[in-house]
Amino acid sequence: MAKSIELRGFMELSELFRERGWNTPHEVAVPDTMTGPELLALLDVGRERVEVIFVNGKATSPEAATVAGGDRVALAPPGVPGPYRVLLGFKKMG
Amino acid sequence: MPKFIRIDMGAKAVKIEECPEKYAGLAGRGLTSIFVADEVKPTCHPLGKNNKLIFAPGYLTGTSAANSGRLSCGAKSPLTGGIKESNTGGTFAQRMSKMDIKALVFEGLPEGDGFYVVKVTMDGATIEEAPAEIIGMGNYEAIKVLQAKYGPKVGVAIIGPAGEMRLTAANISFADPQSNIRSAGRGGLGAVMGAKKIKAVVIDDTGAPGVTIANPEAFKDASKRFTNALTTHPVTGQALPKYGTNILINILNEAGGLPTKNFRSGRNEWANNVGGETMAAVIESRKGKTTHGCHAGCIIRCSQHYNDKDEKYLTSGFEYETIWALGANACVDDLDAIAYADREFDDVGVDSIETAVTVGVAMEAGIIPWGDAKAMLDLILEIRKGTPLGRILGSGAGALGQMYGLSRVPTVKNQAIPAYDPRAVKGVGLTYATTPMGADHTAGYAVATNILKVGGFVDPLGKAGQVELSRNLQIATAAVDSTGMCLFIAFAILDIADGFNALVEMINARYNLSLTGDDVVALGKTILKAERGFNERAGFTKAHDRLPEFFEEPCAPHNVTWDFTDEEIDEVFNF
Repeated sequence: MAKSIELRGFMELSELFRERGWNTPHEVAVPDTMTGPELLALLDVGRERVEVIFVNGKATSPEAATVAGGDRVALAPPGVPGPYRVLLGFKKMG
Repeated sequence: MPKFIRIDMGAKAVKIEECPEKYAGLAGRGLTSIFVADEVKPTCHPLGKNNKLIFAPGYLTGTSAANSGRLSCGAKSPLTGGIKESNTGGTFAQRMSKMDIKALVFEGLPEGDGFYVVKVTMDGATIEEAPAEIIGMGNYEAIKVLQAKYGPKVGVAIIGPAGEMRLTAANISFADPQSNIRSAGRGGLGAVMGAKKIKAVVIDDTGAPGVTIANPEAFKDASKRFTNALTTHPVTGQALPKYGTNILINILNEAGGLPTKNFRSGRNEWANNVGGETMAAVIESRKGKTTHGCHAGCIIRCSQHYNDKDEKYLTSGFEYETIWALGANACVDDLDAIAYADREFDDVGVDSIETAVTVGVAMEAGIIPWGDAKAMLDLILEIRKGTPLGRILGSGAGALGQMYGLSRVPTVKNQAIPAYDPRAVKGVGLTYATTPMGADHTAGYAVATNILKVGGFVDPLGKAGQVELSRNLQIATAAVDSTGMCLFIAFAILDIADGFNALVEMINARYNLSLTGDDVVALGKTILKAERGFNERAGFTKAHDRLPEFFEEPCAPHNVTWDFTDEEIDEVFNF
């Protein structure tokens, strides 16, 4: 049986979601465990529009993300300010 | 040689001297902090005759470099009892630089109850009685009165009624290009100015020679590359101009680091109602401005004009930290009510972070109910009235917590902790604990790839790498605070190394220097050591570098705790 995730989009993605008539949060049925790129394909959101995917409050690159039914998921585009991209684990330093 | 102007409010005398040699190579925070460490008695009473208040523009202030219009204000803080640098936009700093004024220093205390206006022109500085009508007046109206009297384009630094009352959360407000308000907010420097009976400082740069550039062509080239870094980066080129700093509400909420109900949780269900995305939509629907620069030459333009329901201007510089403190930490799910509060903070002249956090502590004390917008606004208006409760509120979270016998008071060194839960964003927690400024998120703000030595990703919920991260962020920030640049340039130079190189090259071109990135790091370390040295002589020890005990409680949704040992925390300043 398909399960769903609770999806949010931030900044310009919130506008995209609004244009599509999606609520905040938007419930999305997912077949099973998915990768980040598979999720973006399902949502028809371009990879270049997403810097990180939050899965249950933890930020990760789309390529490293795994999403399953029952998860709380959020998409953040490029543009999250400064040190938080390091402090929240968006950004590799060095 | 740049001018160093000392205004002695005790003797009512002005002394204009050449910049002393020991301060010649300094600017911005570097100058204010090393000056305070050098000339202010660390054990002095912050509101007494021995404290000194200094204004200093940065290395690049007044040049054509983008985002270079910031001013550093320094003194011993009446809020923390330690050294303070408080940074602001507005028009004041650029006028100082164009007039070749390295620093304005306000010393001594006058006798009597009267307030004064210090007027600075190319002829020097004069001390005049303040117009009676502006005493007790809110800052918005008082700036209009002063610009009507002294000229529509004069720069204005002013204290509101809170500063007149010498409340320890009082700020110093500065007129922006539209005569609205920017603030040197943190640390109660408005109370220092109030103690010296200076209601306002006006600066008229008529006849100013302008800033000289030693190597104009090199400067132009570096400036162009620096501007390119800012305009092409998604943070400074797109996100901040559209959504302001308030885009962080939803991000921190998602990360579980948005302190809610006086730091009881890191997430709430209503965050989006007060977040940057909602705010931008409200501004657009009311014909406000989603983007606005706080000083001439700002190209990030993260400020805005937030209008009320009748499409009349209500506030600007409507920042994430203020919105967080009321919207999440005090549970006020009402963006308009928060905007009215923000305007009142600016008008009465208090730090919007300190006072907004204090509102949450007032709710903790049971003075008003959690989330009650009307009660919140009524409470904030008590400050203007000068009632006992208003004075307590205007004296900060620590004061209110003490008056009501609370232990759940989010402060470090008596300064309110801002908008990032230290349990879920551990690096910023180390900065809150250890910065000489008291809990200050901007103390660890600047990042540059070529000066950070931290490798790999840092897990915000774990301890690995956090000590080094906090240390390097604080060092880089102290240096950037000396440039006169807005700290938000760090968002771009984090990712675009040439932006950082161009910044250093602009300083070299202006002064005919040959600084390297290592010199910038060394400057940051020198500043931090001077600040910490002052605090040590004022009586601070490592025991003051600690977070409140309640952070030992788990913070939802990640159920993380503040778990650094004392020894680990003390490593941050081991350099």
